[in-house]
Amino acid sequence: MPRPDAEPRHRTRGSDPGPRTTDHGPLGGRHERPDARAKVAGSTRYVGDLSLPGMLHAGVAVAPIASARVLALDTAAARAVDGVEAVVTAAALPGANLVGVIFPDQPLLAADRVRMVGDRLALVAARTPEAAWRAARLVEATLEPLPAVHDPVAALVPGAPLVHDGGNLVRTFQVARGDAGRRSADVVVEALYHVGGQEHAYLEPQGCLAIPEGRSRITIIASCQCPFYVQQAVARVLGLPLAAVRVEQAPTGGGFGGKEDYPSEPAACAAVLAFATGRPVRFVLPRELDMQVSTKRHAMVVRHRWGADRNGRLRFAEVDAVLDAGAYVGISTVVAERANVSAIGPYDVPNVHVRTRIAYTNNLFGGAFRGFGAPQVTWAAEATIDRLARAVGLDPLEFRRRNLLDDHRRRICTGQLLRRPVLARECLDRAATLAGWDEFHARPRAADTATREGMGIALALYGCNLHHGGQRLDRSSAVVILQADGSVVVRVGLTEIGQGNLVACQTIAAQALGVDPTAVQVWQPDTTTVADSGPTVASRGAHASGMAILDAVRRLRTRLDPVAAELLGCRREQVELAAGRARVAGEPDRSVTIAQVAAELAARRIEAIATGWYRSRPRRFDAATGEGEPYEFYAVACHVARVAVDRDLGVVRVEEVSAAHDVGRVIHRDALEGQIQGGVVQGVGWGTTERLALDHGRLVNPSFTDYLIPTFADAPKVNIAIVESDGAGGPFGAKGVGEPALIPAAAAVRNAVVAALGVELDALPLVPPAIVAALGDAHPFAWVAEEEHEHVRSETVAPGR
Amino acid sequence: MADRITITLTLNGERRSFETAPGRRLLDLVRDDAGLVGAKEGCGAGECGACTVLLDGAPVASCLVLAASADGHEVVTVEGLGRAGALHPFQETLVTHGGVQCGFCTPGIAVTGAAVLARGGDAADHARLLAGNLCRCTGYAKVVEALDDAAAKEAADAPA
Repeated sequence: MPRPDAEPRHRTRGSDPGPRTTDHGPLGGRHERPDARAKVAGSTRYVGDLSLPGMLHAGVAVAPIASARVLALDTAAARAVDGVEAVVTAAALPGANLVGVIFPDQPLLAADRVRMVGDRLALVAARTPEAAWRAARLVEATLEPLPAVHDPVAALVPGAPLVHDGGNLVRTFQVARGDAGRRSADVVVEALYHVGGQEHAYLEPQGCLAIPEGRSRITIIASCQCPFYVQQAVARVLGLPLAAVRVEQAPTGGGFGGKEDYPSEPAACAAVLAFATGRPVRFVLPRELDMQVSTKRHAMVVRHRWGADRNGRLRFAEVDAVLDAGAYVGISTVVAERANVSAIGPYDVPNVHVRTRIAYTNNLFGGAFRGFGAPQVTWAAEATIDRLARAVGLDPLEFRRRNLLDDHRRRICTGQLLRRPVLARECLDRAATLAGWDEFHARPRAADTATREGMGIALALYGCNLHHGGQRLDRSSAVVILQADGSVVVRVGLTEIGQGNLVACQTIAAQALGVDPTAVQVWQPDTTTVADSGPTVASRGAHASGMAILDAVRRLRTRLDPVAAELLGCRREQVELAAGRARVAGEPDRSVTIAQVAAELAARRIEAIATGWYRSRPRRFDAATGEGEPYEFYAVACHVARVAVDRDLGVVRVEEVSAAHDVGRVIHRDALEGQIQGGVVQGVGWGTTERLALDHGRLVNPSFTDYLIPTFADAPKVNIAIVESDGAGGPFGAKGVGEPALIPAAAAVRNAVVAALGVELDALPLVPPAIVAALGDAHPFAWVAEEEHEHVRSETVAPGR
Repeated sequence: MADRITITLTLNGERRSFETAPGRRLLDLVRDDAGLVGAKEGCGAGECGACTVLLDGAPVASCLVLAASADGHEVVTVEGLGRAGALHPFQETLVTHGGVQCGFCTPGIAVTGAAVLARGGDAADHARLLAGNLCRCTGYAKVVEALDDAAAKEAADAPA
């Protein structure tokens, strides 16, 4: 489609160029990422680049159908392949046959039952990858097909095929608040949304390297977000104590949640093969298999009944959501927890009832994915908000302004009072201004052309860090070592997966120690150097590792400051660290370099290493009623999307997204902008082109040719407004941004497309068949998609009920 | 068919010979035989661009190129982009513009971008010309800025 504007789309540096570093240290600046030079030079070693003498390669045989009984497994042909050193089935595992993160429902290797396509049947180790995969294909499985269920709503109907013996309903979460006002609504909207899943499409496939030391201990080098999860999984399948399993995070080529829970599985496989052969085993998944078997963003079915009065004030909201867990729970309960309390968004609604159910199906299993259940319910909520705005005749901005939480209305749906300031309105205004909302709507637009333009808006309220239910994991460890030359080693337990955790930790440590960022080296996590720091998820990386670093620096200074004070001839309370020097507060001329102080510590043999610890404040939350404080503090984001839709072809082009984010404080400006730009584009892809095509539980489009992520040529221009504020609990007042950057994007696009076409769209993604179907019989090609998209039609606006 | 064949090519400016299997991919020759692991295998199907190298100056997906077809030709990998120990100008601007996140796609993007710069032309085409390289982290903006900047610097440095 020709682009209406000829101006280059990528000429943006966000709203504010910002300094490289400031007089007050590197915080908020743009100094070089410490990992960038090696990455551009091609010298960063990812796990697939590592080889060891005698190293073997792993392959895996997986189930081709979604539900079956395993009658027999014949591995003779596989064992006969030249180069094969081991073939392992469930019967030969040394420890527990179990990889479930929360529920003990998932075996490492299927013993008697297949519950999804991709269930592992046998593992192979061979001298070359080719031999390993050839042998894996030669594993002969005799499978007796069993009834399967692929629709999460149907799975909850009595009589549905059971995925596990205990029934298909895994768990139910609820939020209930008020209820008397629901009859006073002047306008009621009912809608049924089908929100599709998403493939992470990290550029580096899943991979790990297992290095055994006899049968007593093992090192795993893994592409992963959560080395401590990998450690636990490997210890369990090998029957080893945690201390005998060392996990080093390899440089990791993207995660987005896809390397939170899933990497435990390939690591457990490689570990089992390493113990079986006594040799190092590398396991790198080919792309097609990676896409076929790894976790996905959960598909959700969301039913809404929301009401507003004629003045445009929300009166009540009822949400009934079903989340498709797939065949195993994985971390679905935690995803559902977040979806449940995120279903109302940053709006003040007096009467709320949310119910979120998790259903087993025989589909690929859902896992962590940037946003963690919030994007799906946000997509539905923002669609319904636009419907209500239309029903009462208000501009979508004005309708939102009348209902947004602010400093005077700070109570979210769980009853929690938000910490001031609540910046939802400011984010809305900044995004709308950046997008030129008023100018766009004042401009006349042709209604008789094939290409229609539209603008849409969406907001998200994001609870930073782990939910109350996961709070036992919400702690983190850091080690800071002052070297004798004044340089600094920092170790943390949270991972760099592209998002910028290394540069964030480097910035925080340099700021706290008053040194140049280049003096600080942050090393990749290793489970033997820091204590269990929980997962790198929930936009908590910079927060959790940063707080632990600040604690370590505080402890280090109890030994550093007295020495500096002696060198300076002042009291220890007068020592301040800035610009690479220890100096007397208020007398910047009296100073020594940090290197001099470090040398003095070394000369006196004073302990120059300190540990740091962070744990979140205990909170009160009632999981049965959904009442209390699910999260410690919240970030707000507002996205405005401008789209051009080819009405004949049903093709959506997202031209521009204007994103306003309440971030607390900027730690590193390039990393922050990169998170927002990347999150927006990933959200736009999810909302428009990224369709997981499942056929009886099998992904039929496991390739980048058939599963379409945005390219350089598709990515919208992203305008950024950074809103800083006081009151966040993170390091120097920072909030998380990794997930808020994605959450509202697809919803803003959906609302823009609806505005452009004048028809409601209730299924994500907005692929051409969905749009053509929504346009109805008037469209010449409507018959093409009719069958597949029958569910798209909703029971829409019913004014006056 | 012979078990092993000899392939002689110019690799990052150096003439090299490799004894290898006839069906070997150029990506495997570069990574496993020459030990240059900068080029990455993201898909093995020519879809993602992470394995891009220059074959006689043109960017190719080395996972789709038969190593034997590079016999007698010139191959440049990400390791050979810079000169005299310095990064290539586009590698340099990728760093200074914050165009690197997880880095797995970066070597391929650096190679394609270097070819785009060598070809010259309108900066407005940069995004389109890079579109054979997928990136899931950056949202692409800072990468395009980096290429625009490298092109602008090259134009400014060119003799009048």
